[in-house]
Amino acid sequence: MSEPLPDRGWLLVLAVGTALMAALPFVANDYLVGTGLTLLMWVALAQSWCVLSRLTGYVSLGHVVFYGLGAYLVVVTWQLVPLPLAILGAGLLAALFALAVGLPVLRVKGPYFVILTFGLAELVKYSIMAIESASGIASRILFGTPDLVRVYFAMFALAAAAILLLSWVSRSRFGHGLRSLRENELAAETLGVPVVRYKLLAFVLSAAIPGMVGAVMALRSTYFVVGQVFDPMISITVIAMAILGGGDNAKGPLLGVIFLTALSELLWAQAPLLYMIILGLVLVVFVLLVPDGLLGMFERRHSPTAARIGPSQ
Amino acid sequence: MKSSRMSRRSLVSGLFALAAMVAAAGAPAQADKPLRIGFSMARTGMLANATPSQLNTYELWKEQVNARGGMNVGGVKRKVEFVIYDDQSKPEQAVRIYEKLITDDKVDLLLAPWGTPFHIAIAPVVEKYKFPLVGNTAASVSLREVKPGYIWFTTSAIPDRIGVELTAFLKAQGVKSVVVLANVLPFTKEIKNFLEPELKKAGIDIKLSSEYPPDIKDMTAMLTQAKQANVDAVLALAYPGDSVLYAKQAKELGVNSPFQFIAIGPSDAFFPKAVGAASAEGVVTIAHWAPRPEWKGSQAFYDAYVKKFGEDPDFLNSALAWMSLEILEAAVAKNGLNKEKIRAMISTETFETINGKVKFNGVQNVITPTAFVQYQKGRLQIVWPASIATGRYEPKKGW
Amino acid sequence: MIDTLLSGQLLFSALVTGSLYALTALGLNLVYGTMRVLNVAHGDLVMLGAYAAFWAFTLWGISPLLAAPAVALIGAALGYAVYRGIFQRLLAAGAGHAGRIEGNSLLLFFGLSIIVQNAVALAFTPNNRAYAYLDEVVRIGSLSMTGNRIAALAIAGTTCIAVALFLRRSVIGLAMRAVIERREAAYVVGVDVDLVQLASFAIGFASAALAGVLMSMLEQFSPFSGFPFTIAGFIVIILGGLGNVMAGLLAALVLGVIETYGVALTSANLRSVLLYGCFVGALLLFPNGLFARRSVRA
Repeated sequence: MSEPLPDRGWLLVLAVGTALMAALPFVANDYLVGTGLTLLMWVALAQSWCVLSRLTGYVSLGHVVFYGLGAYLVVVTWQLVPLPLAILGAGLLAALFALAVGLPVLRVKGPYFVILTFGLAELVKYSIMAIESASGIASRILFGTPDLVRVYFAMFALAAAAILLLSWVSRSRFGHGLRSLRENELAAETLGVPVVRYKLLAFVLSAAIPGMVGAVMALRSTYFVVGQVFDPMISITVIAMAILGGGDNAKGPLLGVIFLTALSELLWAQAPLLYMIILGLVLVVFVLLVPDGLLGMFERRHSPTAARIGPSQ
Repeated sequence: MKSSRMSRRSLVSGLFALAAMVAAAGAPAQADKPLRIGFSMARTGMLANATPSQLNTYELWKEQVNARGGMNVGGVKRKVEFVIYDDQSKPEQAVRIYEKLITDDKVDLLLAPWGTPFHIAIAPVVEKYKFPLVGNTAASVSLREVKPGYIWFTTSAIPDRIGVELTAFLKAQGVKSVVVLANVLPFTKEIKNFLEPELKKAGIDIKLSSEYPPDIKDMTAMLTQAKQANVDAVLALAYPGDSVLYAKQAKELGVNSPFQFIAIGPSDAFFPKAVGAASAEGVVTIAHWAPRPEWKGSQAFYDAYVKKFGEDPDFLNSALAWMSLEILEAAVAKNGLNKEKIRAMISTETFETINGKVKFNGVQNVITPTAFVQYQKGRLQIVWPASIATGRYEPKKGW
Repeated sequence: MIDTLLSGQLLFSALVTGSLYALTALGLNLVYGTMRVLNVAHGDLVMLGAYAAFWAFTLWGISPLLAAPAVALIGAALGYAVYRGIFQRLLAAGAGHAGRIEGNSLLLFFGLSIIVQNAVALAFTPNNRAYAYLDEVVRIGSLSMTGNRIAALAIAGTTCIAVALFLRRSVIGLAMRAVIERREAAYVVGVDVDLVQLASFAIGFASAALAGVLMSMLEQFSPFSGFPFTIAGFIVIILGGLGNVMAGLLAALVLGVIETYGVALTSANLRSVLLYGCFVGALLLFPNGLFARRSVRA
């Protein structure tokens, strides 16, 4: 089901949310700002992931590779290159990487693609580890990183960009082309959809923002460990948030991010193992019983017509 | 249709309710009187099996302090309560946790997490809030670059000192040739970076130098070559995870050089249980503590730990943790919770600990020497340097 | 260097590694082949098997070799329970559910995996576990082999061969291969698909648990050790082509060889680079797996 115009409810929510998040650093303590930063990070990552994986159905389990590449660039050029340049460069690097490997990678389909993207992320991770240790580097520490508020607003910009990107793609002809190849790639091709070009474009678009996100987050933890920056859990969490959220437009993943971040905030501090178990339960319950995600639930309640026709899967 | 919609909604709200209940159950009781001490510890994730030695030590200390009526805060005794969070083996989580502890939970005192990356990650946080923190299980030359002010490191196992001391130790035993195997994780990689130039300077021949990733599952190729090199000493710069693998495969392949050094792992009680007492016998590792009559409280600490946990403390990490607690205790007893006074005292005074005297110059502990211990008849003995030795080095007689 | 390469030592090592990969991948392949679900929790079954053997040994002194068949049986029982308790109900609820499971099996099993790992961590603490058993070294010529590694190779190897023969010779095995190849057609010719799926779950879980028992003799493990096994399993079955059990066994050995000899030729540091490099390279060249049959469903 296509949406030619953004509905007013959604715009209102976005406006309020934006105002809240923009005001946060001025009213809240550092810990809450940190939480807000984490939320914005996941928004940026989840939205950009959906540009490829929700619209085309090519589920990528290797989203973290862009994140890691971006972080690595910043760390390597630390204090050699002005920071804004490094961050933009990180996005560029990730996009170029996607461009370079996109064509062969996107020839692979289904579960093969899922595990391939995972393997690709791990390959890049271990390659960088080998390069680092071959150059004799034991660890990388960044001294003198910008303060929390600057990092926060950088991430704010990235999250906004990601939402705009996914919204635009989702409504555009490009996006509909992507959806058509999700339904049946062969048929779409016969109908004249430039399938290969579209897939590649979606892949490259989905890479740039995570690259910059990784770059910004590198400033947050100051201690750079390759294994932790290329953490597969990041890829998995992104997928979980998108699926819990449901839908293939910008609304769904946003819901998923907010839901999981809220759940995490309630629990990670008090009972981390229990939090993980509840997270697991949430995943299982949602996959089995709430397949359209939170967005599906929401739409069913508020627009029964849409529910009968079926939410835009 | 309606019932399944309802049940779906109620299921989701049910999950949230469950989460909220768990959160409420775990929330600390509001009380002014207990002294709240906060820290993060990796309870899940990659490092989860390395942290118990430190957490146990903290718990033992809390038990002892509370049995005495509480911690001495400027003359007033207050019962100690811990506020612990799991950093999931992620330094950036530790940053958030310490921000939370300071600004949200508003704890009275802080203790250190486990591991170098975590100490370095939280250094800017304690600096920003001017909250003194005595570090322990951190060792990196980059520690010296941390701005001195609100964090100190009790450890003496800094990689460049290790390079120098280990080389001296090897020379004293007449070692002429070595094999160096290094895990690429920061600490061991750093040791390798400093060790190899020292070995070359001392004229010791490095017949083989090999690196491996932390998740290695099979060392056959590497160890076959090591065996063929037939050297006097094999220096396995390993972490706890691969230390056991190394010992088992060295045994299988018969890598029988008389001097066997494993950087981290053997100081933990887990090691001899995992590889067997015979294999553990004679292994040399990094630690600068053992119960010694000259060090007040060292035997008492050892006995108390064994009594409570049924196994030996980690001679490196548990000792460091205890030392940091002793220093904090002394500073708080004298200055109460005045952070500036605590900071001034820790920066300038000399403290008595279970490891002898400790004094900080900048962030570093300048008194405790870099030392090595060896498993002898099931117990770890300090074998280098002679000034604090509790035993004499014996070559290892096979695995 | 050459004599290292030609030595039996590396070959032995490659076989041990390869046989454990094969055993792990076996169950994964059977479950995927018959039910088209990606069991991401497979490695956690291996972990559970390891814990079972560990407790049997440290609490009651039962040798892991004796515990192995018992643990495998418990694994099979667990597979039976999971199938009857969860999957059968879901499949009966209608085609909608089945499609959903297949599409989201990754996330579903990942959720289960998280629950299992953390429940075990809660119950048994996250600490590393290990024990020393059969660690006397047997020397034949220049070849040194630790007893437990010989045992692991023997048991894993025999089990894989047994299951392979079972698939080739027995009636149920034939039925399984039919379901793997083309499920709807199998229904039509009267194959009891339900029984086949049940059997594949049982054998799948049992072989994973067995791999865990063997693994526990050789290395340390913790509640979070399962994931690397899952990954290794996936690499193997994808290289061999999903559902192609025989090719999977071969791919496992190839992987063991690449790992061992590749490392010997280059450096231990490059082990994962080689592994993932070969995996990514192979998949990019052969998008349906190295041994893909033309009739594989995408």
